[in-house]
Order: sequence, then C-alpha cells, then structure tokens
Amino acid sequence: MAEPDLKSIQKKVSAGASYRKIVAAAEAGAPICVASAGIPNEVMHAMGVCPIYPESLAAISAGIGKAGEFFDESRAHGLSNIICSYTRCGLGICWASKTAFGSIPRPNIAITDVNICCLHLTWWAYLEDHFTLPTFYMDMPATTDPGAPEYIDYYETQIREMVAFVERTTSCRLDMDRLHQSVRSSDLAGYYWKQMMALRRHRPSPMSFRALAGQILPLVTALGDQDAADFYEALYHQYLADAKEGKTPAQGGETYRLIWDGIPIWHHLQVINAFEEKGANFVWEPYTSLNWGNKTSTGRLDLDRPFHTLAEKYTNVWNNKPIAKRFEYFDQAIREYEVDGLVMFSNRSCRPMSIGQHELVQLITERHDLPVLIFEGDQADPEGFSWADARTRVDGFIEVLEGRKQRGRQR
Amino acid sequence: MIARFRERFELRHDRARALKRQGTKIIGCFYGLAPKELVHAAGMVPVQLVEDRDARYEAKSGLLPFLCGMSKNLAGQIAANVLDYVDGVMVSTVCDTNRHMLDIWVHQRAFPNQWLVRAPAKDDEGAINYFTNELRRLAGELGAVSGTPVTDDGLRKSIALFNENRALLRRFYDARPTAGLSAEDAVYVFASALTSPVEEHNALMRELLASLPPGAPGSDPKLMLSALNIPMAVDVIRMAEKYGATVVTDDFTHNARYGSTAVPADGDPFRALARGYLRTVPAPGLYSFEDRAARIRDAMERAGARGLIYLIQLYCDAYALEYAILKERFDRWKLPHLRLEAEATPSSIEQLNVRVQSFVESLV
Repeated sequence: MAEPDLKSIQKKVSAGASYRKIVAAAEAGAPICVASAGIPNEVMHAMGVCPIYPESLAAISAGIGKAGEFFDESRAHGLSNIICSYTRCGLGICWASKTAFGSIPRPNIAITDVNICCLHLTWWAYLEDHFTLPTFYMDMPATTDPGAPEYIDYYETQIREMVAFVERTTSCRLDMDRLHQSVRSSDLAGYYWKQMMALRRHRPSPMSFRALAGQILPLVTALGDQDAADFYEALYHQYLADAKEGKTPAQGGETYRLIWDGIPIWHHLQVINAFEEKGANFVWEPYTSLNWGNKTSTGRLDLDRPFHTLAEKYTNVWNNKPIAKRFEYFDQAIREYEVDGLVMFSNRSCRPMSIGQHELVQLITERHDLPVLIFEGDQADPEGFSWADARTRVDGFIEVLEGRKQRGRQR
Repeated sequence: MIARFRERFELRHDRARALKRQGTKIIGCFYGLAPKELVHAAGMVPVQLVEDRDARYEAKSGLLPFLCGMSKNLAGQIAANVLDYVDGVMVSTVCDTNRHMLDIWVHQRAFPNQWLVRAPAKDDEGAINYFTNELRRLAGELGAVSGTPVTDDGLRKSIALFNENRALLRRFYDARPTAGLSAEDAVYVFASALTSPVEEHNALMRELLASLPPGAPGSDPKLMLSALNIPMAVDVIRMAEKYGATVVTDDFTHNARYGSTAVPADGDPFRALARGYLRTVPAPGLYSFEDRAARIRDAMERAGARGLIYLIQLYCDAYALEYAILKERFDRWKLPHLRLEAEATPSSIEQLNVRVQSFVESLV
C-alpha cells in the first residue's frame, strides 16, 4: 500500500478543516459537544459526536492574532484578567458563537475532565449553567499516583458513564466495532507521534518546535479519525527522510539543543524562530512528548481492552506527578537528547504547569550544569508581552550558551 | 467573652505549640474540604492553615508572582518556621494553586507528613464508594502517625462533635444580625473554629449563645461580605463601617458554608463522611451555583442586608470565575453587589476605598 501523501492528508486535519468538519457535522444532524482537551476523543469519534475544543480554538485564535475580540467579550461578562486566557477566550468564543474561522453551531452537550486543571470544572459548570447544556464531568480525583490500579478503574467507569450520558442525551449509540476501529486509529496516531519524538534524538534534530506546535492539533481534536493516523504516519516518514538528509530548522546548523518547558506562547510563536535563527533547536518538551500520544506503560493502546487502555492513557497526567518524578523525565531527556540548555515558560494562565518549575530547575541544575532561561507571560493573551524584551533575553541566553561552548572547546 | 474568640485565633500558633508540648499532634488542613473529623478521630487536632498579615512572609515565599497571596503567605510562614508545630498537612483540592502547593511542600519536606485527599468532584454512588475507600486509606495513615487507630465508633463521635460545631455556628449566624456584636468580632467567632480544638470551640460557642446580648440595629446600609482571606475581610469591614455601612452577615469558605450542612450521622461513618463532603461544601465548581447564589440571597434577606461585597483575592482564579457565574443571577435578581479584587496587602486594599465608599453611597 502506498504511503499517504503528506500534503493532501495535512489538508484534512488542519485547523480550518476541523472547523469545516464541525459545520458539516451540525448540518448533518450530528450532536455537537463542547469538550475539554483531556477527554477520550476516541469514544466521541466512535459514537459520531462532533467535539468543539475551546482550548484549541483559543490557542488557534491567539496564534493567528484573532483572540482580542473574545477577550473583550469575556471582560464584558465580568471575567477578571487573572483567569486563564484559554478560559476567557474559550468562553468568549461560546458567547460570540463564532471562532476565528467563522460562526459555530450551537452545541448540544458538553463533556469535560476535572483534573488536568481545576478551572475546567468551574468553566464547564458555567457552560452547563449559562447555556443550559447537558454536561458530563469525567471525574478524576487529584492524585500524586495516577498509575494506581483503583484510580485507573475509577476512570474506566467514568468512560462507560460518558457513553451512557451520550446515549441518554443524543440519538448516538456506541458500536463496539467502531470503538475498536477508533482506538486502532488513535493508537497508530500516537505511535507515529512517539516515533517522531524519538527522531529528535538525531543530531541535528529535523523538527522545529514551532511546526510541532501546529502539527500536534490532530492529537487533540481528531484522535480516532483514520485521517489523523494517516497524517502522523506520513509526517513521520517525512521527518525520517529529513533526519537522514541532516535537515534542521536551526540556521547555520544545529549548534545548541534545548528543552522548552510549558505550553507554547501561541501569540508569539516567533520566539521559537528567534532561537532557531541563532542556531538553537528545541529537541524535547514535556508538552509534546508527555502530554499527548499513547501515554500508556507500553506506549501502545491495548486494542482488546479499549475502555481500560483509554483509562490508563487519560489518567496519565503530567501535572499529577510529584516534582521528583517530573525531574526524572527531565534528567532522562537531558541525557538522551544531549541537551545544552533549558527554557522554562512561567505561564501565568496555567498554574498547574508553572507551580513547581522553580523547584524543578533547582534539581536539574544540581545534577546538570545547564543554563536556564525563564520567560514569564501568558499562553494566549499577549497583554504585557514585549517582543523586544523577549528577543533581548534570547540573545543573552544564546551568548551564555556560546560562552560555554567556547570554554568547552578550550578545555 | 467575645475577646476570647479573637484571642484564640490571634494566638493560634502559641496555643498549638502548647498542645504539642502536651503530646498532641497537630495536622494542618489546606483547606475547607479536608475532612477534619478523620484527623480528630485519629486523636490529633486539625487546624486550618490561614494567612497572617505580615508582608515579610510573602517576600520569603519564593513563589511565582501570579499565585494568590494566601499561598504565598503560607509558603512564607513555612520558610519562617512559624508552622514548626505542624506534624502533617492534609491538602484537599479547591483550586490548582492549593493542590499543587502540596508538590512544593513534598519537595521541600516542609512537614513530616503530607496527604493529598483524593476527592471526587461528583457525589453519585460510584464517587461515594471511591471516596469512602479513600477516607479509609487516609484514616489508616493518620492512625499510623498518631498511634490511635480510627475506629467506627471514634469517627462517629468526631462527626457528632463537628456537627455540633456546625449547628452552633448556624445558630450564631441566625442570631447575629440582631445581636450586639461588631462585624469584626463576628469574623473571629468562626475564624477561631478553624484553629481551635473542636471541643474547646463548642464550649465557647455554647457560652456565647447563652449570653449573646441584644444590640441596637447597626447603621444603614446593611451589607453582606463574601470573602476568603480573613485579614483582607477585616480591612474591608472597617472600610465599609468608615463610610457608615454595617456588615451584618458574612460568607467565608468556612462559616456559613462549612457550617451549612451536617455530615450524616447514620450507617457506616466513613461512608457518611464521604456523603457529607462531596458537593456539600460550597467551593467553585464543586457545588451548585443555583444553590450558592440562593444561599447568599437568602442569608442577605434573613440578615436584612441590602448589598453584597464579593471580595476576591488577586490571582484567585477559582473565585474570580465563580463570581462571573453568580453575577448573572445577582444581576437578574437586581441584587446590589460590588466585586473587589485586590492583593492581601494594606496598600492594595487601601486602593479599594473609593469603590467601597461609592457602593455604600449608592445604597443610601
């Protein structure tokens, strides 16, 4: 069988395509669900429910400079600026009933997780309350041991209850054959994503974090869809070829290999390019490597136990791991990816991702003599962000890296 | 009489250290959803970790600038060894900051023992079963620390004591609008409940309720205050009074809310405790907004309050979002309300002066 053509398949899973799918699904009478990014998309896909992801839409809006009107909308509704910018922008999108691409159909139901971020609970409770939407909460108590069997079992019951909720509130029914197909597609998408991440060990790494920040979208919005699996398979082969040819986004060759911690700065993704212009390339991020894909112990989904395997995957939440465990991941990545420095994005919108960064840096710098650059800002709201200041910081950091390289050569 | 509540709150660290010298173990609760009955049944004293008005603590915290003052203040207290008497801390999730402070405390080994309460967000049978098992796990670990195993009978007695405390607080809030008691003093009546042994607070409450003097009605307009941070709330009460208003009732995480619902006393006490905590303690997202808004409205009606001040600590996103939801109902009901958002520092609060003054004047 011929490998899927990357360009043609990319068009099927782009942000614009995902918007058009929502519109088409609503026209065809499929239920529209306002969903948070941490719930099993595979099940919704198998049931024929079409999700709208406010967080993704907020990131996309910020990425193309069209989030302003949604922030204005949220201010008009009494939302303080201290609230997460995804929440403000996402609610703005719901109030305005439109996205950066055009108007969106009225949703029929809502489903959220309650653990990745506590605000999800209140945010979806607001949607339930304000838009009188039947809403389901995928319960996942706070924990420091997400791999505990009873914890995974509890979430498995939540997935089954989610199915019951969808069947109760829509005309959709779960077909187990479709669920198996959906999990199979998701597994392949996750598998190829993982393979792509592994390619970044290659010197030079062929990938740009900026490109990955966009390419991650189908892992959030389209898991279960065969198009997503085809896309990642084609993308993997493209990057494999690039790696063999020694391609790199780092200009003048890959001189420095870096880690980025945190969500991308969607409103100023060019920060990543600023590093690349100076020969620095991001080769590992918890966001890309640990937050998405097949987060099971085997790295694959167990097709014979679809509910259980999804429970294992979705309960494996980075933020629920103690700082010592998070450090182990960094420690391993620093060694395996031969990292020269760290960039930590201290994100005022995302407290779960930012609390503990300082302690993590302490542990990392105790074991590895690496320079660390800390950016403070917001993932989607550009207010207070200075591009000139960011560039100065990048330049200064590169000078530090260069100084270290030179001292290393002299030794 | 009333001064004894204030004294118990203000001297809470000294009193806790005195208890510790007598051999009692002290467990810090962070914050309102930690099941204190379980700590009590293990023979230890649960105390709420609350903020101190001391700017040095925030400077010492080493936390990110965009975290709430309460977490920064507590982190500073730990750094300054103020909480040296705490044998363990029990964190129950209300917001991302409070939940992830535990990660830092574990990393710092800030306390000899740390527990995260793995509480579901729902209250259906599956959630109650899960939480019942979780409470049994916690009870086992608490008993191992104290040397006093948590038994069914012991837990029933502890539930009864805390239910009595809730009932006494409810009676107090019913009596408060017509009692000769200042709003500031009233804050310490419940605040001391957070930091005192429950037996001691119950005895004080019984004494207070038996001797509560009738008072002259306060000056108009009468207000209700909804808040989280105790020192900030006291500042705002003084500010409102300066402009001629009287705060006749209040709504903190732990008085009207904590005291609002008794834990069931029947059947398996662990299961009863699970039922008593899941979605019954008003916290953003974990409680019906309809009920929450209605409770505020009803409390205002009972107390004769004409306006509500909803005080949010800066960077407290949980309550900031809750406000936006409640606001829709307040607006629909034409319930006069003022949202204030400030840091828990005197200079930040001082900037609220004009807003409080104009709100009070708008109600006259």
